[in-house]
Amino acid sequence: MEREEVKKRIAEKFGNKVQIAESSPKRVYIYAENDIWVDLASFLFNDLDARFDTGASVDDRDGVEVMFFMPFDREHYYVTIKTFAKKPNPTLPSISNVIIGAKWIEREIFEMYEVTFKGHPDLRPLLRADNRPEDFYPAKRETKETHEMPRSRDDGQERADEVAGKPPKGKNP
Amino acid sequence: MVKKIPIGPFHPILEEPEFFELHVDGENVTEIDMKIGWSHRGIELLSEHKTWDQVPFLVERVCGICSCSHPFAYVKAVEDLLGIEVPLRAQYIRLIAAELERLHSHLLWTGLAGHFIGYNTVFMWAWKYREPVLDILEAVTGNRNHYAVMRVGGVRRDLPQDEIQGIFPILDQLWKNNELLTGAIVDDPVIHARTKGVGVLGKAMCREYGALGPTARAGGYDVDARRDHPIDAYDKVDFDVILCENGDVFDKAVVRQLENFESIKIIRQCLEQMEPGEICAEVHEIPPGEGLGIYEAPRGEVLHYVRSDGGNMPMRHKIRAPSFNNILTNEYSVRGSTIADAGLITAAVDPCYSCTERVGVIDRGIDDRYILSEGDLIRLSQEKTEEIRKRFAKE
Repeated sequence: MEREEVKKRIAEKFGNKVQIAESSPKRVYIYAENDIWVDLASFLFNDLDARFDTGASVDDRDGVEVMFFMPFDREHYYVTIKTFAKKPNPTLPSISNVIIGAKWIEREIFEMYEVTFKGHPDLRPLLRADNRPEDFYPAKRETKETHEMPRSRDDGQERADEVAGKPPKGKNP
Repeated sequence: MVKKIPIGPFHPILEEPEFFELHVDGENVTEIDMKIGWSHRGIELLSEHKTWDQVPFLVERVCGICSCSHPFAYVKAVEDLLGIEVPLRAQYIRLIAAELERLHSHLLWTGLAGHFIGYNTVFMWAWKYREPVLDILEAVTGNRNHYAVMRVGGVRRDLPQDEIQGIFPILDQLWKNNELLTGAIVDDPVIHARTKGVGVLGKAMCREYGALGPTARAGGYDVDARRDHPIDAYDKVDFDVILCENGDVFDKAVVRQLENFESIKIIRQCLEQMEPGEICAEVHEIPPGEGLGIYEAPRGEVLHYVRSDGGNMPMRHKIRAPSFNNILTNEYSVRGSTIADAGLITAAVDPCYSCTERVGVIDRGIDDRYILSEGDLIRLSQEKTEEIRKRFAKE
């Protein structure tokens, strides 16, 4: 379906709940409010015949921006739908019940950014190592600001020694 | 009686560990649960601490096989953000490196698939034919792997003009070798019996799961980012998108084999059309904004999303490799198969396959547990082929 037609039909159906922007003829961005999120994804996938590709998320200070990429292959352009899950406790309705392929990417966004997808059939962490604490969300802005990563193996050892109260190696106590 | 079979997660020779838990009733798989993340290296976060020019070297290491596809998608994402055009010669060099990578990846998979079903001759011949591809890659980029050829605005290294004529005879030979290999696979009745109707993933399910690359095209789901979202010189070369109908393991092999011919065609056209000229556009700084880069890697479409806040490093860099979508399809295609086929089906997706280090069978009824190694799983698969082969020999 052509770009102008898609934009027109989305504007007709969702009115002022969406804002449509374009960065080039090949990239269309649609900003949506939380309450029409599932309807918008479903409308694009089922009615307008877009393909489901994947999702991404960006952590802003006030919330997490979640986006899904839905290309129209025959017409050579990408539609990106975006919404904003406000902090604290960012929550969004899950689209996995409409599009099975979104299951894993929603799990990944949940475990990295602590965005809870309501109605997800199986919202377990996807990539988390078994020994990682339950409430550790590595890509969250708050985590990055407060959690100091070791810069190298030696640095990690030095800091471990420091915590344990041992004198640093190679230096006189 | 339902048994649970955990497969994985680690194997030393393959690059992406995964964990599968098969729920089996007798010989048949009724359910599959998967866990990934065993080699999660935090590359997306690492990338936020590298400058725009350092990131291609990092994303090359996302996957050893796709070490051209990821930088390609990344530089296209940044170029999408910048809105710049790349010099024509650089576009052709990018295509040559990318298509050579597809050739060597497909040949590698064909060899491995041959090994899994007990055709070690296919394994050795496919890997033998892969060597000249790596030689050309070395001539074009300077490296057999991790080519370090992509940069924002163009390529890092020009292809010496006097090397070009030497590449054509190697391509001709590759074409002949690939014909031989394709014939050996397509005409073999045992391979037909062993792979047809195994692990079927139809068009409708491909769409539901967002399957990509040869996995999707084998099921008749017509997606190919080279044609659908052409980048660089892909709209200047002529090639066909290979499609099959059944979506079984056999069709996945056929799609890959026939795509090799298309890749050779593309490389030949690039070499013929290339003219001397600039290889890189000037890029001074990256303004705030966002960009999306899409490229059809050997396993399917790679997607990179970058966002800039005007600094010298990406503020966010999202990487989606095709296996992320394709591995999820196992949930559907493995269901209903036998244990001997399960390894083959999960391998047919070409998921940077490394899941069969050990298999423990847990029988909940009598609390009994035994461990099968990766070798045991391959042996099961090879024994099944041998049975079919004997049956054909009798007939």
